[in-house]
Amino acid sequence: MTIQWTSDLEIGIPVIDAQHHRIVEYINQVEHVQETKSQRELLDLMDELVDYTVSHFAFEESLMEEAGYPFTNAHAKVHRLFAKRVESFQKRAKAGENITVELLHVLKAWLVNHIKRDDHDYSELVKANMTEATKRAKARKGSWFGRLFGS
Amino acid sequence: MKIQWSADYELGIDVIDGQHRRIVDYINKVHECEQSGQGDLDEVLNNLVDYTLSHFAFEESMMEEAGYSEFDAHKITHETFIRQINMIKVRYDLGEDVAVELSDMLLDWLLKHIMTDDQSYTPVIKEKLLSIPSRDQKTWVRRATERFFN
Repeated sequence: MTIQWTSDLEIGIPVIDAQHHRIVEYINQVEHVQETKSQRELLDLMDELVDYTVSHFAFEESLMEEAGYPFTNAHAKVHRLFAKRVESFQKRAKAGENITVELLHVLKAWLVNHIKRDDHDYSELVKANMTEATKRAKARKGSWFGRLFGS
Repeated sequence: MKIQWSADYELGIDVIDGQHRRIVDYINKVHECEQSGQGDLDEVLNNLVDYTLSHFAFEESMMEEAGYSEFDAHKITHETFIRQINMIKVRYDLGEDVAVELSDMLLDWLLKHIMTDDQSYTPVIKEKLLSIPSRDQKTWVRRATERFFN
């Protein structure tokens, strides 16, 4: 069963929501590959999924750090553990083992839990920090224009 | 044994309370599966164990960062417990019906652990991680730099 993207998976930060949505699409694709049973396709998809997920983690961690989220390191630790786990699946798949069913269970359960609990916890602080940063950037732009055009 | 989440189990650290609550939800789900004979027990058990391990990793990293003096002891408690879970999992994989035993043990352990071990670290986490919004030097420097150039 594929994951249905619903509003309770949104944390209210569009850039993060879009990345989560993309990861869910990857997972749903793995589900599709499972049905067509192409090992080659599975391996390619796994590589893409791992790459995308790891860069998403890095992005999320930098937002949390910048916002001064007090549990950035603990959250990052959970990311690292999960990345390691996905990598071990990758290795097993490369060794020829059919890991699709097991992987799907792990991915679906982990992601949904992680978004609904752990990600939800940082969302308010990160959102506030992003709003502030945007204001600052606009203010800077304003003063730059002001200086340049003497207004 | 099913359990109703109560404010007594809350530490006042939202992220941790949320994780504990999720574990309790899973434990209750094991019972529902057992009683109704419906639902994928295998999946619920796996999720329960996975989520518990992930919660331990989060908590350990948090305690370490806060410089909690009983960090090593707390970590050993987690490790001992993980070994217990693994032993039950081996029996489960061999076909033994361990669902109720596992969830009862988890529940019993978790509630005691929250009320004693977790409560001991709570003041330290609140003081070191929650009362000062940003202790991170890089962020502090960046903010100061931005203020200076604005």
